Amino acid sequence: MADKLSWTELRRAISVRAGVSEKKAGAFLNALIAQVVEGLKSEQQVKINGLGTFRLQPVAPRKSVNVTTGEEIVIDGYNKMTFAPEAGVKELIENNSPQPERSLVEDEVTPLKKLGAQAEEIVDILGELGQPPKEEPVEEPAPEPIAEPEPTPEPEPTPEPEPEVIPDVAPEAAPDPVFIPEPVYTDEEEKPKKRFHFLRDTLICVVILLLLLLLGYFFLRNRLAGWIDDMMAPTPTEQVIVVTDSTAVEGEEALAPTNGELSQEEILAEFLEACGEGDATPEESMYEDLITIEPMHQDSRLAWMAWRFYGDKRYWPYLYDANKDHIKNPNVIEVGTPIRVPRLTKAQRDTTSAAFLKLKQEAEAAIR
Amino acid sequence: MLTKELVGQIASASGLSKKDVELLLTTTNAVIRETLMGGQAVQLQGLGSLEIKERNERVVVHPRTGEKTVVPRKNQLVFRPVASIKDEIKKL
Repeated sequence: MADKLSWTELRRAISVRAGVSEKKAGAFLNALIAQVVEGLKSEQQVKINGLGTFRLQPVAPRKSVNVTTGEEIVIDGYNKMTFAPEAGVKELIENNSPQPERSLVEDEVTPLKKLGAQAEEIVDILGELGQPPKEEPVEEPAPEPIAEPEPTPEPEPTPEPEPEVIPDVAPEAAPDPVFIPEPVYTDEEEKPKKRFHFLRDTLICVVILLLLLLLGYFFLRNRLAGWIDDMMAPTPTEQVIVVTDSTAVEGEEALAPTNGELSQEEILAEFLEACGEGDATPEESMYEDLITIEPMHQDSRLAWMAWRFYGDKRYWPYLYDANKDHIKNPNVIEVGTPIRVPRLTKAQRDTTSAAFLKLKQEAEAAIR
Repeated sequence: MLTKELVGQIASASGLSKKDVELLLTTTNAVIRETLMGGQAVQLQGLGSLEIKERNERVVVHPRTGEKTVVPRKNQLVFRPVASIKDEIKKL
């Protein structure tokens, strides 16, 4: 700040330059400043050709926090004064160098782009020293930026020659510290990249995992649904029946939800009556004897009973066949209806036999 | 306010002729520029001071591409208004 052109010095300089009295210059300067301030107030900006523009810049109010109380406060907006130099002046100032340090700057900038040139220089210097350069110098610039392994790669390619080489290259590597910023930057660049890769990879992994989970869920759900349907369906192969049969439950429930509890004797009696009606069923002769006579339970069905008595729900057509004298639709059976459960012979257990298939067709036809 | 208006205003305020004011203004600018180039700050009484500051070399990152570039060292003109004018202007 000591190096500042004071007001009086400025006034004197102007008066000398313009060839006017110092008083006049002073009056002018005072008027200039006053007018600039006034212009700022009235028009927010004052442009002075050959110098720049004084401008009034509004600063918007902003929120902040009281450091001691943690309270939110609003910092009021205000105006501040800025000065922007004219383009030509700015350029002059930017290129102007009060201290001759700019050459150093250039030194820093140019070798950043030309490592190869540096390598060539080193080759030349090594050649001057009477050293066979070969391909070693090409290797040298590579370790140089790291600045540490310099001594290690040298002795390897040149085992015979004088140890002078190392001190010779060391001063040559003196500008190397200038290089150091470069690898540092590249390192900085690589780190975020790595982090980015890591993030991306984890994201992909998570997405894949989620997809797998979803797939597994749907697969399992389908499987489970399939199993449940299998349990309920009379024939696992024919889905039409699965569907219609599952409605049977509702049908049964809807038809007779109340009279579910009848004593065994009553059922038998009822059943015998029913038998009396449809005595001459030829199919009955198919069966050797009956395992039991069971009333239709709520939530039960022929397929379920077949599974219980024969261990396989596919045999439900036999149950229908044995009871078709008093059951019209195997899907609509009143709760409490006595069901004859015939004992099956080995031949009858063959689900591929023509007799069974015929029975099955009949039973399915009855559903429709 | 443009230079022409400024010249008129100064002329009427100081009682100098417009020609004189123009001449004085250009010389003032020249003096200020040259002083600044010489590495010296200039004080404008009642307004502030102009000074050339060095800006160090720095690395800037392009926010979208992440590209890093080195901004070379350069000089910058800095204007520092005096406290009185700061206060005067603050609330307008």
